[in-house]
Amino acid sequence: MSDSKSSSSRRGFLRSSSAVVALPLLESLRGRSIATTDLATAAVPPKRMVFLGMGFGVTADRWYPDVKTVGENYELPKILSPLTGHQKDLTIIQNLMHQYSADGHSGSTFWLTGANRYEIPGQSFYNTVSVDQVAAEVLGEQTRFTSIQLAAKRANEDGHGPGFSLAWNRSGKPVSGLDTPVAAFHRLFSNDTSPLAERQQRLNEQRSVLDTVLADAKSVNKKLNKTDNQKLDEYFQSVREIEVRLAKEEKWLAVDKKTPADPIEEPSESLEGFEEIRMMYDLMVAAMQVDATRVFTYRMPVNALISSLGATMTAHNMSHYSEGERRTVSQNRDTAHAMLLAEFIDKLKASKEVDGSSLFDNCSITLGTNLSSVHSLTNCPTLVTGGGAGIKHGRHLVMSDKKTPLCNLWLSLLQGSGIRADSFGDSTGRIDELFQV
Amino acid sequence: MARCSKNQCITFLVVAACASVSMAESDDPGKPRAAMPEKHLEVFRKYCLDCHDSDTKEGSVDLEAISFDISRDIPTAERWAKILNAINSGEMPPRDAEPISDSDKTAFLKDLSIQMVTARKILSDTGGVITMRRLNRREYANRVEALLGVRPDVTTLPDDQATSGFDTSGASLFISSDQIEQYLATARRNLELALLPRKTLPSKTVRVEPEDEFNKTISEAAATMRDQVKRAKSYFDQKEKPASDFGFLDDYQAGRQKTAEWLPLFDRYLSRPETKSGIATIVTIKQGGLTKVKLPVLGERAEGKYIVRVRAAAYPDARERFRYLEFTSGYGTGRKLLGWRKVTASLDDPQIIEFPLEHHPGERAQIWIHQRGHQDRGDKNLAKLDRRANGFGTPPGMWVDWAELIGPLPESDGEKAAEWILFAKPDGWSTDRYAKEIIRRFAVSAFRGMEPDADFLDRLFQQYSAQRAKGQKHVEALLKPLSIILASPSFLYMVESTGNEDSPALTGTELASRLSYFLWSAPPDDELLALAESGKLTESSVLKTQTSRLLGDERADRFVRGFVHQWLEMERLDMFQFRGVDFPTFDNSVRENAREEIFGTVHTMLDEKLPLRLLLKSDFVVVNDLMAGYYGLPNVEGHEFRKVPVPDDSLRGGLLGTAAVLAMGSDGVRSSPVERGAWVLRHLLNDAPPPAPPNVPMLSRLAGQVLSARELGEAHQEQPQCAQCHQKIDPVGFGLENFDASGGWRDVETIVIGRRKSKKTKEFEIEPNGQLPDGKKFDDYFGLREAVSHHEDDFAQGFTEALIEYGLGRPYGFTDQDLSDEIMDAAKGSDYEISRFVHALVQSQPFRTK
Repeated sequence: MSDSKSSSSRRGFLRSSSAVVALPLLESLRGRSIATTDLATAAVPPKRMVFLGMGFGVTADRWYPDVKTVGENYELPKILSPLTGHQKDLTIIQNLMHQYSADGHSGSTFWLTGANRYEIPGQSFYNTVSVDQVAAEVLGEQTRFTSIQLAAKRANEDGHGPGFSLAWNRSGKPVSGLDTPVAAFHRLFSNDTSPLAERQQRLNEQRSVLDTVLADAKSVNKKLNKTDNQKLDEYFQSVREIEVRLAKEEKWLAVDKKTPADPIEEPSESLEGFEEIRMMYDLMVAAMQVDATRVFTYRMPVNALISSLGATMTAHNMSHYSEGERRTVSQNRDTAHAMLLAEFIDKLKASKEVDGSSLFDNCSITLGTNLSSVHSLTNCPTLVTGGGAGIKHGRHLVMSDKKTPLCNLWLSLLQGSGIRADSFGDSTGRIDELFQV
Repeated sequence: MARCSKNQCITFLVVAACASVSMAESDDPGKPRAAMPEKHLEVFRKYCLDCHDSDTKEGSVDLEAISFDISRDIPTAERWAKILNAINSGEMPPRDAEPISDSDKTAFLKDLSIQMVTARKILSDTGGVITMRRLNRREYANRVEALLGVRPDVTTLPDDQATSGFDTSGASLFISSDQIEQYLATARRNLELALLPRKTLPSKTVRVEPEDEFNKTISEAAATMRDQVKRAKSYFDQKEKPASDFGFLDDYQAGRQKTAEWLPLFDRYLSRPETKSGIATIVTIKQGGLTKVKLPVLGERAEGKYIVRVRAAAYPDARERFRYLEFTSGYGTGRKLLGWRKVTASLDDPQIIEFPLEHHPGERAQIWIHQRGHQDRGDKNLAKLDRRANGFGTPPGMWVDWAELIGPLPESDGEKAAEWILFAKPDGWSTDRYAKEIIRRFAVSAFRGMEPDADFLDRLFQQYSAQRAKGQKHVEALLKPLSIILASPSFLYMVESTGNEDSPALTGTELASRLSYFLWSAPPDDELLALAESGKLTESSVLKTQTSRLLGDERADRFVRGFVHQWLEMERLDMFQFRGVDFPTFDNSVRENAREEIFGTVHTMLDEKLPLRLLLKSDFVVVNDLMAGYYGLPNVEGHEFRKVPVPDDSLRGGLLGTAAVLAMGSDGVRSSPVERGAWVLRHLLNDAPPPAPPNVPMLSRLAGQVLSARELGEAHQEQPQCAQCHQKIDPVGFGLENFDASGGWRDVETIVIGRRKSKKTKEFEIEPNGQLPDGKKFDDYFGLREAVSHHEDDFAQGFTEALIEYGLGRPYGFTDQDLSDEIMDAAKGSDYEISRFVHALVQSQPFRTK
């Protein structure tokens, strides 16, 4: 069913039924596989971006540096002490927030989008594309995976809010994630050993399934009024997204996945919490080494993390920290994140690119969440590290406007990573301070 | 605190239900309008216009030009929202300007926040448009089960309650590419289970003698402890040799093991004669460790109905909560609670308890039987407290001789899905013709009786042929086209065709679907479909009879659960843990049964046609033995929920006295008069407070002080931006302060100071007096309940609005005023009996038209 006739008529249909669907050049993707020489490493190492979402907020009065000490001469809070060795390579930014955020249990849903949940009257949920997906459209062009989403299980209880991962696609719909290290390992590094023809056949079959459901969608389309057809458009768009993904898969069908320089073993099924995050970080380093993708998001576990640190309460209980045990758990969690991030940075620094720079030099990493603490949505905790976006690190920045759009940071990271973007979400401009000493 | 209510839609604020509509003069006097009273122009003149007049427009804010007609359009409303937030957060007026006087500020914020709520409702009004709905997760599961006879695992599909008000709201039910793939995969898995031949296992009985395991482990543990104590003693009796010579890592470990705290409990356990032939139910060392019966694992192909039989007895001195067998499945945090059975027999004459189980195909289940438990370390900590008191720990509650797993029981009921899908092949038909017809019939059924498009059917058949060409057998090759049907829009969406403009009435089958999804969250059954197809269903009297029939069917329980859970925001019940040490009797089983109590109460009222006001105050509760035990109500035997009379002075009777509602109004540690007050206003008095403004500064003055909940509440009155709402919310919540976080009665509030182990506490006398927003004062909980019970009209109005949202699948809007009046009128005549609301909604024009 993959003959060009049926696919072109489908595009024609999509064009007429839903003007909002952007149609990239499918024919240029389809049926053409990449020659291995195309993959030869370029002289300039690629830019990469990583977003790490913590879900419930931090222990606010201990996590942020003193606002009176800005610039280089600030003391890294004790709770973040594992990062001391990297202090000159990271930046903590205060007073960033999303003006529309109002959902006190959603640390991730709008974190990378800045969208207004109630944008559409009469509809109780709305989201827009996330910054990683915008970056992936450019950075992901030449890699097997346009982007990789990692997302721990049971996120609803972890203060992440609705969504399948941190990522939201162009139509504001959730993008699914790999929920365990072992699943991520296989996606990134395991090769399908069945013959090429068989794999091609499977792809064609998947396409014909889409053609079939579209036949029904078309007939439904005729029966509906305008409002309902707008609803049905979501279905058409979703099918369209699967097609785009299949086209990319086809392009890479004949190319084997690479094994990283430091081979990584299949992770155990039972990793949870601290060790799970550590393994996900290792997998990201390995994926960067083989250039499997250049954009990562990770919606990290919270309940599993605190439980692996010995806590016996739920993450939600922890997030309502008062003096006593809840606060201790909250602080331990903050320190564990600092410890894990420090290790991640160590490994990225140790891994060299062809030009002698390190993975760390070419990568930008943001650790944060939309919730600052308890159910507050101002001053979103934000720690940026890595040389990829050209940020002058080693500083503590306190934005003078307490409502500086977090999207200004996302815009800065996009531009800093060489992606042409004039705005992102509700951004009002780049944060120039990031790039100036 | 800021909680999303059900009917909210516009951007700029958090949420909330309604307030009175300002009917100020307007071009169209009938049109609702939200306007800021003109008198507040004075506030602008006095405090704001120096910077924000039309000349200066500092920060591009021009307050001279702003329209006071807030609901005029969304940009105007957003401008007012910014003003509200700027004043609430203390950002405006700036520090170096003259502050707004407290009285001006309170009056200004009060009017504005109420008008904002109204404006949001006006601007989000869909004008009665019902958007085509996708089956939500609950409905999808029921739909697939009705079609295939297999209940699908839907945990990988999004929980639609997280993104919409009610999960029936069409406009908020989305779809994504990942979801389409999940639908395909789920359909495939369940079609395999339904259609591929499966061996049914022969029924058998397996008996487990739990003492075989525990006599061994407990005596070994006891021996090890004795040995450790001995070695530790020898180590500390000498000075020369290192700890390692005695088998310890270091001095610290040796010190720890010098006393074996669990040994007395284990010794007592082993010395009981009855543990030779059974187990006594106790907490063992490991976290979450219990003596328990481990039944044989039920495998993926062992589906069917089972009976568990347990021979057990209760110890005469056992505490109430330790007299229940708890049946669970799974491991660790994924453990599911299946049910409870009280053991009443004595050790001289044990009883046999039966517990039914249903095991779904494709799943694996490890079933356990043990005593009731707390989350996490709760039981262990409680055992420690007992040990301090009695020297050994918590005494056992029950004795279990053996348990039997019997099944799978022979199935008798109904036609198997495989039989109607793979109907008998008529003589003379080719396999292709047969396959085509199987596909067509399945599609018609999956599409609620709609004939599928010819092109679609052709493609489905091509799918079948392609599989056959690859060598698959007939049934195997059908799996693909059939699973595609279950991922197609005609299946996933409730397609209601437009019809012609003049006659927007739903067709019979469309009406049947709307009705059955409303009351069953599932597709129509044969009777309803037959009436729909013959055209009779659109007759009002037939529609009424069918509504009654559906409400009387056991599937109406899905309406009760789906609606009540969301209407009363019961997800909050799972948000916090309750520590075992602080709330020893509020264990996992109470939390589960407290939820069931609410559903059971509403369902009983529906069945017995009782007036709605009994949810506010009643002379009965709907409980089972376990909840009766929790509440201390005597003479309730058996696990089913039933109506039990309570005396006039009982704490229970009405939603306010239920453990579920009281626990939801807490954070798992302390009661929250704010949460409770706001809940009462939202759900009982239909007078929702405006949404909590985000980012209001904390009262730093109070940091580090130990205050009663009432004192904390009174601090809210200090600042105008808090006072304007909290003076309405908190005094309602104070009336429930005699209930602790778990719904137990108390006369004083005890607060632990600093770390828990410090044992320093401070006590506050409860002051339960307060008042309702209408000024009605009350002295205590009983007064509050009485005062609230007089608001049955308000309560009924809120119930009606929620029912309209749930039933029509769209937000409640001002355009629904006539509809809600109609429903209220119809219900009032019958004393607001619940089913009357349902009937009135079903009979209404909006329900019967597109």
